[in-house]
Amino acid sequence: MSRKRALISDAFNLKKRRNGTEQFGAAAEDGPADIKSSLEYLMTLFPRKLFNDALPQIVLKHQLYSIHSDKTLVDKEVNKMRERGDLLMFQLGFDAEAFGLVFTSDYKAKVLAGEEGKTTRATVERFLEKVVSACTDLSFTKDKMLKEFLFTDSEITQLVKSGVLTVRDAGSWWLSIPNSGKFTKYFIKGRKAVLSMVKKSKYGEVLKAEIEERRTNSQVKFHMKYHIHDIVGAELVESIPTTSGTLLRSVDS
Amino acid sequence: MFYRTSRDLLWIKTSLHSRRAGLDDPLRLRRAESTRRVLGLQLNPDRDVDRIHGNGINTIDIEAVEGRYMLSGGADGVIVIYDLENFSGKLQYTCKAVCTVGRSSRYVHKFSVETVQWYPYDTGMFVSSSFDKTMKVWDTETLKPAEVFQFEGNVYCHHLSPIARKHSLIAVGTTNPKIQLCDLKSGSRIHILQGHRAEVLSVRWSPRYEHILATASADSKVKVWDVRRASGSLFTLDQHNGDKSKASSEAVNTAHNGRVNGLCFTGDGLYLLTTGTDDRMRLWNSATGENTLVNYGKVCNESRKRLQFTVSRGCSPEFVFVPCGSSVAVYTLHTGELVTMLRGHYNSVDCCEFHPDYQEVYSGGKDCNILAWVPVLRPSDVEEDSDHEVKGAAGQSSVNPAFQDAWSSDED
Repeated sequence: MSRKRALISDAFNLKKRRNGTEQFGAAAEDGPADIKSSLEYLMTLFPRKLFNDALPQIVLKHQLYSIHSDKTLVDKEVNKMRERGDLLMFQLGFDAEAFGLVFTSDYKAKVLAGEEGKTTRATVERFLEKVVSACTDLSFTKDKMLKEFLFTDSEITQLVKSGVLTVRDAGSWWLSIPNSGKFTKYFIKGRKAVLSMVKKSKYGEVLKAEIEERRTNSQVKFHMKYHIHDIVGAELVESIPTTSGTLLRSVDS
Repeated sequence: MFYRTSRDLLWIKTSLHSRRAGLDDPLRLRRAESTRRVLGLQLNPDRDVDRIHGNGINTIDIEAVEGRYMLSGGADGVIVIYDLENFSGKLQYTCKAVCTVGRSSRYVHKFSVETVQWYPYDTGMFVSSSFDKTMKVWDTETLKPAEVFQFEGNVYCHHLSPIARKHSLIAVGTTNPKIQLCDLKSGSRIHILQGHRAEVLSVRWSPRYEHILATASADSKVKVWDVRRASGSLFTLDQHNGDKSKASSEAVNTAHNGRVNGLCFTGDGLYLLTTGTDDRMRLWNSATGENTLVNYGKVCNESRKRLQFTVSRGCSPEFVFVPCGSSVAVYTLHTGELVTMLRGHYNSVDCCEFHPDYQEVYSGGKDCNILAWVPVLRPSDVEEDSDHEVKGAAGQSSVNPAFQDAWSSDED
């Protein structure tokens, strides 16, 4: 298979005779250059009405990989935003590598709104202020909670009850989003449904533009684009540039 | 042999001029040209490797002294030595097998050969280890083993340090969690490294310090040892860099979330690459054991044995060549970007090796082929040049075009 244009390294200051990058077909997906705007774009794909506005907008970290080609850069930017305190990362539980991202302001607003009129409100508020603002960990051990943050056992129980902490194993907890169980359930169902849609297509492959236009069946509750970004970013399908646009091919694993 | 466009010639001329004038570091031109050659790697119809193996090829090694001879070990226990140099003057060249330890030899391994390695200082000796639980040290001239080391379990891998002056130890990884160090000079094997909990799939000496050894095991851990120390390993690689909050508590101090089956140091020994069955490849700082967190994405890995992959040398940026299914994936080392996939094998690829002098990659796989990926210069777009190319290939040797017969014989 002869290559039309040879790969050229940056070390060479040769003038590229034709357009250097291969832009095929209608896919003009250059996208925003910076991570924050892609995050905001992905957040708009999240269906708020489905959860009656009780959940903050959640985006998965690997969805960013489908928009930006340099994964290491995406990771670095996400970590920078987490350290600044703008972004929170959660271990969603169904996959060791699936991390959910939520804007801190969103998260705090929704959690406090959910805690209105509950007895656990004060503890949760304290937790949000002291722990979430200060430390970027995904999980906390009992030791840390008791000694560093000075929470008592009963307060920890209250936090678990309110959904801000989820049990990880004996004596440690994950940071979590309250009422996110529904999200995980719909997400996994939708992901499976979209993957089977790609697999059942003729030759096991489908054009990205085409599948985005397809009617979502009852299994898929989210926007198709949300799921497409997810399966492309997690490399559950192969993304191939063609002259008619991007092609998604199912991977036999 | 080299066909260049006028633009290439212009660039080379200016670079050579800068180099001669002292404006440019001589290394810069060499590195830039090496990088460009690596980016132009392609399956070349003119370069072939003799097909001797009747079964899959598990391992290949190119000798470090001249880069002329290549060893290969197959799943049928056969070991073949090839001559890679092209002295024929023709463009079309098949790397011939110089000699073979075939099934008819009395000393051949009974089961598949998993690792072969040349003695680092000359081609008079090579070491092979196999699933027949032995490791044999061969004399290249007579093709008889000078020494046979017997083990209790299948031998997955072995490695001799390429820079060792003070010791001649061979590190051996077997199904036994203890790593044995066999001394080539005395034949003793009393030195054992304990620490792993499952079979050791890959061992690698550092190309920078002759006493540093890295080992990878099916228990998801990678340990780095200093063999002079009496106590255990120096450190264990941790993919989360000590951040215990990131993953579940069983994943503490593991390099991967599955079996670790590939290890490779970069040419300068400063970084270590590991691959695992969790479909990930990680780059580590070999001095501190820190995960550099370079994200290569999904690096398909289904190998139950050692995966032999390689890093380029002398290029900037460096590239990693990893067998991925039935192709070889090429990634940029420090950014994790997938540069290209080298497709050509008919079945899964098991091993690949980089030839630093010519920037060529040789890969072997289950389809019993060794393929040579040779850098191709950009095809010239000047008319006369391409004519010369055609004539040169058809003719017997690359003669000066002025002396070539310009008549075409198939026109009537």
